[in-house]
Amino acid sequence: MKINKNHSIGELLACVIARELKNDDTVAFGLHAEFTLAAAFLAQKLYSPKLKIRHGLSVNNVVELNPAAWTSNVDSKSHLLVQYNEKHDSILSIANPNEQNKLCDTFFVSGLQIDKSGNTNLIGTKDENRKFKFRGPGSIGTTSIAQLSKKYFIFSLEHSKRRFVEEVYYISSIGYNTRKKYGIAGGPLLCITPLCVFDFENGIMRIKSIHSSSNLQEVLDKTGFQPIVPKNIEITKEPSKDELKILRQIDKEGFLINMDSEIVA
Amino acid sequence: MKNKNQLLKSGEAGIIDMKKAVGQLKSGMTIGLSGFSYMNPPMAIIREIIKKKINNLTIVSGPTSGIETDILIGAGCVKKVITSCVAFEKIEGVAPNFRKAAENNEIEVWECDECIWHVALKAGIQNVPYMLWPAGFGSSIPRLNEDIKEIKINGKYYLKIPPINIDISFLHCGIADSKGNVQFPNNIFLGRLFCEQELAESSTKVVCSVEKIVNNVAIMRHPERTIIRNAQVIEIPFGAHPGASNGFYIPDLNHYKEYARYCRERKFNDYLKKYVFNMKNHEDYIKLIGKNELNSLKLKNK
Repeated sequence: MKINKNHSIGELLACVIARELKNDDTVAFGLHAEFTLAAAFLAQKLYSPKLKIRHGLSVNNVVELNPAAWTSNVDSKSHLLVQYNEKHDSILSIANPNEQNKLCDTFFVSGLQIDKSGNTNLIGTKDENRKFKFRGPGSIGTTSIAQLSKKYFIFSLEHSKRRFVEEVYYISSIGYNTRKKYGIAGGPLLCITPLCVFDFENGIMRIKSIHSSSNLQEVLDKTGFQPIVPKNIEITKEPSKDELKILRQIDKEGFLINMDSEIVA
Repeated sequence: MKNKNQLLKSGEAGIIDMKKAVGQLKSGMTIGLSGFSYMNPPMAIIREIIKKKINNLTIVSGPTSGIETDILIGAGCVKKVITSCVAFEKIEGVAPNFRKAAENNEIEVWECDECIWHVALKAGIQNVPYMLWPAGFGSSIPRLNEDIKEIKINGKYYLKIPPINIDISFLHCGIADSKGNVQFPNNIFLGRLFCEQELAESSTKVVCSVEKIVNNVAIMRHPERTIIRNAQVIEIPFGAHPGASNGFYIPDLNHYKEYARYCRERKFNDYLKKYVFNMKNHEDYIKLIGKNELNSLKLKNK
C-alpha cells in the first residue's frame, strides 16, 4: 500500500462513506464514531443536506467529533448540540416497523473477522480444544442493528488474511448466506477497507473499486478467500478538493489523519 | 422468574455508608453495575467489594462494559458475566482480564448483543417467562447461550429470551437527596443516559453512589431528571474514577493505559495491591491519584 501525500486513508474512507449516505437515511453510530460521524457531516454539507443523524446532530451546529458514548474533552459542549435526550434502551426501537420511530436505518459494523458472505465476528476464534482460542470483546449492538437496518456498511481498518476469511468462526452479524437460510432479505451493501471497496454479487464479496494506493495483486494477496473479480475494476475516486476542505473544517483535531496509525494493510 | 411468593424486601431508602452498602452483598449473588464504556462505573464501591473478597458473582453490566467488570474478573470475584461486550475503547480492543478468563474457561459468558441484553432485563421487570426479539437468529448467540432459543412463528424467526433478575445493583450517578431520589445534571454527554434506571428497576436492592448529596428542594427543581427513586444513596466524589461521571468529569485514559500495562506485563496483582488492597478507603485512593490529576478531568461547561 502506497502512502498518499494529499490525503490520509481515513479521509479517503470517510469520503467513500459520505458518498453513500442519502437524504432519506437516518444514521446511527457505534465504535469508531468519530470517523463515521465525520462522513455523515460531510454528506450533510455536500451531498445530502436532509440526512438525519441521531440526536439531531448537524454539521451546521457546533461540531464535535467524539466517540458515541463519551468524550475525552473537558471543554465539550455536546449537551448543546442535541435535540433530544435518551437512555440506552432506546436502542430497542431498531425493531420498530414505523420508519420515523426507528433508532436508525443506516448503520456501520466491523469485526475481528469478516467472511466472503458478509458475516462478521466480534466474538472470537476457537480451535479443537478451546471454545475461545481468542476471546473477542463481544457483539456490542451489531447483531440486531445490522439485521434490522434498511442498509448497513461493513468497514475494516485492517485488510489481511486473518481478518478477511472464508468463513467466520462465530457470527455476530449475519451475512447473505445466513439470511438466505432464514428467509430474510437485506445484507451489507459495501465492505470498505484501507485497500479497496467490496460490494456483493449473489451474496458473495466482489471487488468494486481499488484505491489508487493499492493494486489488484495486493488485494488478492491480503484477502483470505477468492472474491469475485470483475473484468473492469474502477479506481476508488480520490477525495475532491471540496470534500477535503470540508472534512478538515469538521475534523479540527485531526482524527481522520491520526486514524492512519491504526490501519493494518 | 419471580412469583408472588417471592416478593423480596428492598433496602430502606436513604443515606447510607460504605459499610452498609457493601454489607448487603454476599458471594454468589447476581449484581448489576452501572458503567457503559467509560461512563459511570461505580469504582469506589467495587474496590471495597474486592477487599471483602466476595466471589462467585454473576455480573449484569454494560451492555458495553469496561473496567468495572474487568477489575472484578481480574480479582477473582466473578463466576459469570451478562453483558454484550467488555472493552476499553481506544485503549484495548478487548478488556484484558475478561479476555484471559474467557479463554481459560474461568468465567461463563452469557453471550448476547445489546438489544438481547435489554430484552432480558425487561422480561425480568415484567415478570414473564420469556420475551421475543425479532433479530439475532442465525448468529452464534443462541448457539453459545443455551438460555436463548430460536423459534419460528407464522414463518418468521425470533429469539426467545429469558428474564434476568438482579439481587442488588451498584450504580454511580450524579446527585441524590436523603429520600433516595437520584438525578444526573443537565450537561450530560450528548444527552445520553445509559442503563442506570433500567438496572435499578431490575433489582431488588439499589445502591447509588453519587458525586453530591443535595437537599430535596434541589431535586424538586428538576423532577424530569429523577431517574431512580427510593434508592440507598452514598456521597462519593470521584466515585467513578478512572471512569467518567456523566456531567462531572471525563475518563482518566492514562489510568486505563496504566491498568492495561500491568495486565500486559502479567502483574495485575500489583495493580490491585497498589490501588485496592493498600487503600484503607476512598480518601486514600483520591490522595494517591492526586487532587491536580482529578481536577484536570473536570468538565468545564456546566
